[in-house]
Amino acid sequence: MTGTIFVIQLLNALFYAAVLFLIAAGLSLIYGVMRIVNLAHGSLYALGAYVTAWAVGGAVGAAVAGTLGQIGLFLLLPIGAIAVGVLGAVIEPTLLRPLYRRSEEYHLLITFGLLMIIEDMLKLIFGGTPLTASNIMDGLGSISVGALPYPTYNLLVIAIGVAAAVGLWWFVYRTKFGVILRAISQDRRMAAALGINVGRVYVQAFAIGCFITGLGGAIVVPAQAAVLGMGVEWLIVAFVVVVIGGLGSLEGALVGALIVGIAHVAGIQFFAEIELAVLYLIATVVLMVRPTGLFGRA
Amino acid sequence: MNLLETVHLKRYFGDTRAVDDVSLSVAEGEFVSLVGPNGAGKTSLVNVVSAYLKADSGTILFRGADLTHASVTDRVKAGIARSFQIVNLFDDLSAFDNVALAIFSRQGKTVNLMALAHLDRDVTAEADHVLAQFNLSAKRSELARDLAQGERKLLDVALAYALRPKLLFLDEPTSGVSTRDKGQIMDTIASVVRGEGITAVIVEHDMDVVFKYSDRIVVMHQGAILAQGTPDEIRKNEQVAMILIGSADAFARKD
Repeated sequence: MTGTIFVIQLLNALFYAAVLFLIAAGLSLIYGVMRIVNLAHGSLYALGAYVTAWAVGGAVGAAVAGTLGQIGLFLLLPIGAIAVGVLGAVIEPTLLRPLYRRSEEYHLLITFGLLMIIEDMLKLIFGGTPLTASNIMDGLGSISVGALPYPTYNLLVIAIGVAAAVGLWWFVYRTKFGVILRAISQDRRMAAALGINVGRVYVQAFAIGCFITGLGGAIVVPAQAAVLGMGVEWLIVAFVVVVIGGLGSLEGALVGALIVGIAHVAGIQFFAEIELAVLYLIATVVLMVRPTGLFGRA
Repeated sequence: MNLLETVHLKRYFGDTRAVDDVSLSVAEGEFVSLVGPNGAGKTSLVNVVSAYLKADSGTILFRGADLTHASVTDRVKAGIARSFQIVNLFDDLSAFDNVALAIFSRQGKTVNLMALAHLDRDVTAEADHVLAQFNLSAKRSELARDLAQGERKLLDVALAYALRPKLLFLDEPTSGVSTRDKGQIMDTIASVVRGEGITAVIVEHDMDVVFKYSDRIVVMHQGAILAQGTPDEIRKNEQVAMILIGSADAFARKD
């Protein structure tokens, strides 16, 4: 029995880590390329969750499920990610671009302002009632782990997390766009001097970072309801992840998400009262030993 | 027609005349060396022509087109590339990625995300070819930061060369390199530049290098052109020897 519980808790940790990785990877990508700490990131995650929950769990989902069945719902799942990606493509050139030359306080101020605006927009559009897309999760049923049932959908989320990690690694280290991203992240002026259109790459990178985060929100709502305040809650944990892993590092986001995922689940199991405190403690130790994070460069 | 022509180019820093009324012509396929004592304005002239400094007055004509007010990016597109006195590489990228980057930017296909999704065979083949031309094939996968100084110098020139410029400025391509490696680096650069018919303008202090590789030598002093001519003409010019070495028969004695 203890073995069964261990396996289930491990799966729970991986589930949590998969979602966290998507948020932290988006945050790190945006910081790595344009050196902006995007405080609105959690709200973009929440927006992805709300849009998918609204589409899949609402009238649209019912109509699609009526004609295409369960597959239709899966096709509808990424809609939150797409919506957030499109919003990112609008935000970067209009709100962020004028601020690159300013100091970091301005970046923090405008992205914090964005966070508040998006949070209020969510309340205005979707109301205060939590939304879910649990029809996807219910449709997939469960598998047995030992003697206990475990939702099949959670395994799908873990698989998406793994696929996203592999896909992002390939994207950053094995594609033309990845080479350009890494070059701009090292020296923006030199890349521009080579004739690379830095402005265009910025829009694309920001939109991709938003898309990844939106995807995190989209895949979480079949399992957990979209609620007001979820954006800030996840943003804080995502910051713990990037502090541990190193802001701007893809490997850091992955390892950080795994550490936080495991610590989170172990915390709930063994010392629920101080679960969050343990996360901060880990982050503090990393900050003292390696201020740039496990994979970060000064 | 001359590839590059500067007409009465001027750039002052306060009272310092960094570039003082320079009218210089460079013909297609020429290998020109800019020499002169420290502070003679060689690098300033290169900076003005490659748009890293604005000209106070005068005109820059490149293949007949007026580029005086064009940006760095526009001049790269027109066919002017340069390397720097201090090596300018993407340190955390491999030698291969550094060259590939220059090739992408030349191709200018940064519009379509799909076109960026994979490293196509053409780019890979070209980047490998460029590395081979500069004797860097063995260092393909090493990070730029891990290369030896001489290799970094060559990679820096390879990056500028991968832009397929018509005119290549090299600012002290052998500075900070041991005397033993100097000849090898210059041989490599000269064979690529001559082999591909690229016009090159180099800033260089080592007169042995200058005499050996140049078609024409331009001597600058206090921002202005003091003399120009073939290596033989410059070698015999006592005024030049006086300024560069401080002795009228400095070059003659070497023969």
